[in-house]
Amino acid sequence: MIEVKSLTKVFELTKKQRKENNSTEKEAIAVQDVSFNCQPGRVFSLLGPNGAGKTTTLRMIATILTPTTGSIVVNGYDTLKEPENARKSMGFLTGSTGLYERLTPNEIVAYFGELYGVSKSDFEERKEHLFTLLDMHDFQNKRIGRLSTGMRQKVSIARTMIHDPQVVIFDEPTSGLDVITAENIIKLIDNCRTQGKTVIFSSHIMSEVDLLCDDLAIIHKGEILFNDTMESFRKQMQAPNLTAEFIRIVQQPTNIELI
Amino acid sequence: MIFTIFKKELKDTLRDRRTLIAMIVIPILVFPLILGISTSISASFADKQQNEVFSIALLTDDPDNQFVQELLSIPDSLGPKEVEFYTFEEDAEALILSDSVQIAIAIPSSFDAEQLALKSSEVTVYYKETNMGARQRAKLYGEIIEQVMQNQRYSALELDPSTLTPFSLNFTNLSSDKEMLGKYVGGFIPYLFIIFGFIGCLYPAIDLFTGEKERKTLETLLTAPIARWKILVGKMMVIVLSGIAAASFAMIGLFLSLEVFDFIENPKILEAVNSILTAKFIALLFILLLPLTIFFAGIMIPVTIHAKSFKEAQSILTPVNFLIILPAMVGFIPGIELNFSTALIPIVNIVLASKELVADTLRVDLLLLTFFVMVAFAAFSVLISYKRFGRESNIVS
Repeated sequence: MIEVKSLTKVFELTKKQRKENNSTEKEAIAVQDVSFNCQPGRVFSLLGPNGAGKTTTLRMIATILTPTTGSIVVNGYDTLKEPENARKSMGFLTGSTGLYERLTPNEIVAYFGELYGVSKSDFEERKEHLFTLLDMHDFQNKRIGRLSTGMRQKVSIARTMIHDPQVVIFDEPTSGLDVITAENIIKLIDNCRTQGKTVIFSSHIMSEVDLLCDDLAIIHKGEILFNDTMESFRKQMQAPNLTAEFIRIVQQPTNIELI
Repeated sequence: MIFTIFKKELKDTLRDRRTLIAMIVIPILVFPLILGISTSISASFADKQQNEVFSIALLTDDPDNQFVQELLSIPDSLGPKEVEFYTFEEDAEALILSDSVQIAIAIPSSFDAEQLALKSSEVTVYYKETNMGARQRAKLYGEIIEQVMQNQRYSALELDPSTLTPFSLNFTNLSSDKEMLGKYVGGFIPYLFIIFGFIGCLYPAIDLFTGEKERKTLETLLTAPIARWKILVGKMMVIVLSGIAAASFAMIGLFLSLEVFDFIENPKILEAVNSILTAKFIALLFILLLPLTIFFAGIMIPVTIHAKSFKEAQSILTPVNFLIILPAMVGFIPGIELNFSTALIPIVNIVLASKELVADTLRVDLLLLTFFVMVAFAAFSVLISYKRFGRESNIVS
């Protein structure tokens, strides 16, 4: 379960950033008064164009960034008061996640297992399950630097899931991946839902959202423009297809009832 | 948890070729290479001096004068020589500049007559200072001939040489060889320790912070249930260990040069060096080195956290390297000693304390002051690192 209430994030701009943005503003609001809930056993999608505030929101949920105002509760833990407990129940995967090039998949998974305090017996069992599921046994002892993109993505998935998180955060997980590699992620998200985990993923690809999500929030310029179930979204559609409807909402935010 | 981070970072670091070269290969080879090259150069120079035929132009109108005779009678055991005769008026400068001879000696035609009259003759030696060893060889020949002819005069005048020597001045050096080494070359050991300690920290610091940002692994690490300060300490421990390892390998290289490769042949120096390299000396050196290396890590980490790329971090830290070298060179300047003022200056205090340590003249109060000053600076630099590591703008791009 994830509960986000009145979340706002303001970044202070350095002189260099102000010059680059050609602005005199000392602050930039990345996320403004964002609220939503993600339920266990459902996939929640945060949809928005580039720069909408998706990554900032997910980073705040993952405790990488601290909210300026507002609160986040993950699996019953307030991320500001009990960040380590909140992190323990979370798995975080982004499309751009890097891996330690000089380590092997076995070593990386073991490292994160240790960091998350996974017991030895649980670790061995989960590792075996994940490595079999993702067909990783053949390259488990090869250094990451020698692996293909698809193999690396599998390692990232194993690393994210080794502690069996109850909440899984995916930040544009398929970005830059080929269709076959992206399919691994789609399967993973689907499995998480089946297992009753809370899943939140950000994307700007409508077809992915259509395929996976149960609940949807559209974010634009840091503000939520739509927040309801996917079913409700389909019912309210005014454009001929999902992509066209997404573009319509983003371009004419005032025409849509904010929920 | 800190140990988990430390273990993983150490494994990762030890698999980085660049770090291994800076931490092990260069430090261990530097002493054998420096000493080996300098020993072989000086040996080959001495060998050349011994075997090369030394060509001398004798400018005189009287080739049978006593100076010439004495010169020709000097045995070749001092190095073979060949002599060419020219008139006194010959252009000595042209002979030397054309490199046809190494020295030219102009002996006046009145030489023998002046000697008979017990007068002093003026003999001129032409040489090029850039021609290594030419002046020394000419001086040696001159001293031998002068000694022979002086003795002949004493005999002719029936004089006891001691009657012309009112007193002889004897200098008795009470400094031990250890003290002498400490004074003159003692600055060299801390200098190398500081340089290698810094270089040893450099690559791991960049790799473990900027590298982690560049490879986009930091974000994942920050989502793990571990406090940021623990991540910082785990990484810092690897950086400090690398710095100490680099300095230690330099020490091992020095030991190998002396004990295995026998680059120093002078038994007195060797004995003094061996008496310096005791367990106590090494332990004290490491006690001083530990806060210094933490200080290095502490000043590098804020830079490497802030930098967005390996190149950027390297370009900022290279000038810092020079800032470290300058105080490290204080050990080479005579007259600057460890006292209650210099003990307060970081790096300078370590250099001077190490120098005193080599000479075995280090005072306990100054050692403690140096140590605690360095610990204070190290703690301050760690605090800055902690603050910087907590900054959101530094950890996410």
